[in-house]
Amino acid sequence: MEATFLLTLLITFLASFIGYELISKIPQTLHTPLMSGSNAISGITLIAAILIYPEVGDSQLLKIIILVAIAFATLNIVGGFSVTGRILEMFKKND
Amino acid sequence: MIEIILLVSSVLFIFALKLFGRPSTAHRANTFAMLAMALAVFSAFNFDFSKYDSAFYITIVVSGLLGVLISKRVQMTQMPELVGLFNGFGGGASGAIAYVELSGSSLPISDVFVAIFSMGIGMFTFSGSLVAVMKLRGKLNNFNKKLADIFSVFFPTILVIPAVLEMDDLLMEFIILVAIISGVIRVAVIGGADMPVVIAFLNSLSGIAAMSAGFIVNSIILIVAGALVGASGIILTLLMCAAMNRTLRDVLKGGFGTTTINNEYEKDPISTSPEDVAIQLSYAESVVIVPGYGMAVAQAQAAVKELTNTLKDKNIEVKFAIHPVAGRMPGHMNVLLAEVDIDYEDMYTLEDINSEFSSTDVVIVVGANDVVNPLARTDEDSPIYGMPILDVDLAKQVIVLKRSMSPGYAGIANPLFVNDNAKMLFADAKEGLENIIKSFELV
Repeated sequence: MEATFLLTLLITFLASFIGYELISKIPQTLHTPLMSGSNAISGITLIAAILIYPEVGDSQLLKIIILVAIAFATLNIVGGFSVTGRILEMFKKND
Repeated sequence: MIEIILLVSSVLFIFALKLFGRPSTAHRANTFAMLAMALAVFSAFNFDFSKYDSAFYITIVVSGLLGVLISKRVQMTQMPELVGLFNGFGGGASGAIAYVELSGSSLPISDVFVAIFSMGIGMFTFSGSLVAVMKLRGKLNNFNKKLADIFSVFFPTILVIPAVLEMDDLLMEFIILVAIISGVIRVAVIGGADMPVVIAFLNSLSGIAAMSAGFIVNSIILIVAGALVGASGIILTLLMCAAMNRTLRDVLKGGFGTTTINNEYEKDPISTSPEDVAIQLSYAESVVIVPGYGMAVAQAQAAVKELTNTLKDKNIEVKFAIHPVAGRMPGHMNVLLAEVDIDYEDMYTLEDINSEFSSTDVVIVVGANDVVNPLARTDEDSPIYGMPILDVDLAKQVIVLKRSMSPGYAGIANPLFVNDNAKMLFADAKEGLENIIKSFELV
């Protein structure tokens, strides 16, 4: 348990580091699509909702709360990627 | 099998970030990230789709369709609001998941800490983002600062509650309430022109909330993706702060520009007409356009494009100088200009263009103010002293397109407006530009 936790921390650290290095190189001109793209990626919390949904039991309240989380996360993923694609298309055709 | 899918997904996410580094490859980055996301979500089902009822699938389909609809309809000038709203949804989703985990099974104490953290940050992001959206739509004025200062001490304190008290429903609801109120108040005290920092900061928090949700459910891909969003938001936050020569703490404190100082001008500005501007421009060889929030408000980007075409037809060189905090979110001006087909190669950053102003014939400032205020270089007592600005006052001639002499966000006078080489064209950005274009036809 301890070892897995440390490994997870290590992965978190490495991911943050790679992310920091790569994102620092993104030019100012793409900062808006970077934000809408990261909106989409933050919707990945949908995974957590999918994992806990079958285990929530009989509580209607908790079920509704997870469904709200699912709605928010799905909106973020689909809406975020879709609008980012729209913006990046505008930059592409100038190339 | 699941592990392999997740590995591929992680690699795709990293590749997507790499491709995002250049405008010409960035659209491929989006495709890569979508694929990575699809794989990650698919893997969470663990090949067992029967565990989920119809309410689950209906929610996904309906909100997915809603997402498509919103993204197709939104105007590029509304991007700050949309990103703000999505920040809120991301935070709200992670916060809600943490709540369910806390009230459901008995978590080990270390996970309780993480879950409280995720719930607090998520709810703070949710309410703060909604307030930010309202501010961006101009529906909310600045708020009492004292109350905000009290809450900013209170909020971090409650996140350590589980160390001393047993968690129960009442306590959780109390924490949620405090998180929501803190988010509302914290953002409410911050002025509109600081929104680029606020939006980037909330963006970062939504990633951090997702990352901590990943720790609770033991999902490495969720942790990795959350960390990437968190890192991206932090980078943008720091870039925006540096572009204003202010600390994040100072921005979040709020109340900037509310104290009006030295708002008087020593002499009257020289006012000009669209006809004179057209004549002036037709003698120029190089023109730099500086867009600001005023361009977004007036929806003047199409008129900017039209003027650019007119000038280019006359073999006049046209460049765009974009300050990092122009507009209401990072990159806001670039997107508006890209929308009207202006080549991104013509958009210059502050570092790249500042050395060129002294050899520029005419600079046209379209609805920008503080980012071209020379006091940032000269007046040590000024609230914007030390802020990197576009040195447009060094150009041979400057035309400022603005509705009035009113100060910008910093609440101070801009001596550029009464400079010997500057003329004011008092008009709404769109109308003013259209009148210049019309006058060109007569020149």
